[in-house]
Amino acid sequence: MFSQSRRNLLVVFLTLLVIFEMVAYVTTTPRPREQFFQLYVLGANRLLSDYYPNNDPNIGVGDLVRWHVGVTDSMGSAQLVVIRIKLANQTIGPPDDLQAQPSPAPLITEFRRFIQDNETWEMPFFWQIVNADMPEGSTRILEMQINNETYQVPGLTAVDGYNFRVILELWTWEPQSGTLQFGWSSGNERRVAWLQVWFNMTSSARQ
Amino acid sequence: MEGDPMLRIRWFLVICVVLTILLPLTAETSSSALQPTEELQPRFSSAFALVHRAEAAGATREEVAGLVLLLNKALRLDDEATKLPTSDAQRAALLAQVDENLAALETEANRLELTASQRTFTNRVVAYVTGGIAAFLATLAYVFTAYVLRKYRIKRTFQMRIFPKVK
Repeated sequence: MFSQSRRNLLVVFLTLLVIFEMVAYVTTTPRPREQFFQLYVLGANRLLSDYYPNNDPNIGVGDLVRWHVGVTDSMGSAQLVVIRIKLANQTIGPPDDLQAQPSPAPLITEFRRFIQDNETWEMPFFWQIVNADMPEGSTRILEMQINNETYQVPGLTAVDGYNFRVILELWTWEPQSGTLQFGWSSGNERRVAWLQVWFNMTSSARQ
Repeated sequence: MEGDPMLRIRWFLVICVVLTILLPLTAETSSSALQPTEELQPRFSSAFALVHRAEAAGATREEVAGLVLLLNKALRLDDEATKLPTSDAQRAALLAQVDENLAALETEANRLELTASQRTFTNRVVAYVTGGIAAFLATLAYVFTAYVLRKYRIKRTFQMRIFPKVK
């Protein structure tokens, strides 16, 4: 029926068709990519330095600490992110990376925002201790001010005022379960992002 | 009547109840036992799902940015409203604004989902049709090249010269 040359032509055309349609498929299909968030804290000048007033981690009552907290969404879609601020001492455990469990430290406040893919949300995080008392040999933080709002701290004490820390946890909205979760799901994995910054509040800082 | 001890106790109890209700409202500092938000309100949740659907349908970055802006505006108004006492008229006004924003967002997200899915479908069809046309043109190029090569080979064959062997 077909001559040899026409048969060859048909084979060439079909081969080229398959190649070009594969190119069309690859260009129109979004490629899967790694899904993650980035959480960071910068100092007063939005650099990885100057985290404390006069670079002294020994903070006194009323010393304003200026940080900038940021989150970048690389999940491939819009997300609701919640940054939870917790205050801990040396004995309270940090978040558990392996079990994806948040820190049991008391929650001071939280900040919520919807961000779209490849967007970075950065906000000023200015805080100070506004009320603390010093029973014998220890320091107890009673009130903390964050971005001009005052929050009570449920009795957090440290021996001699050493090793307090601010913990920042990243929580996200999980549409499947309809709840907020610590960290996020990437495929079958759970991943978490959190930061902690240590500070002291010794008697010398209070004078 | 004023000397009645039962009546005084009753008045004292009424004042205690009123103070218990009013004191937390007048306190300047936030409650120490801050209740974390574990769930989004259903309206936010459904609006957010619509944004995801518009994104999945192929809405552009600029289009999604408009939706996210509306979501954040509604979230900010909701945060402001929750700080006010439930009986406050301003709270009701803010919550009405939240509903208004979310309704606008839902309409826009539905419209975007439709236009984005149509655009994505058109782009896909154009890409596959272009692939077919490109394959056809490439086949024509192959045929033309084969034809030119054959002609060149025939020409070279007829240009050949035969020389006698020199001993």
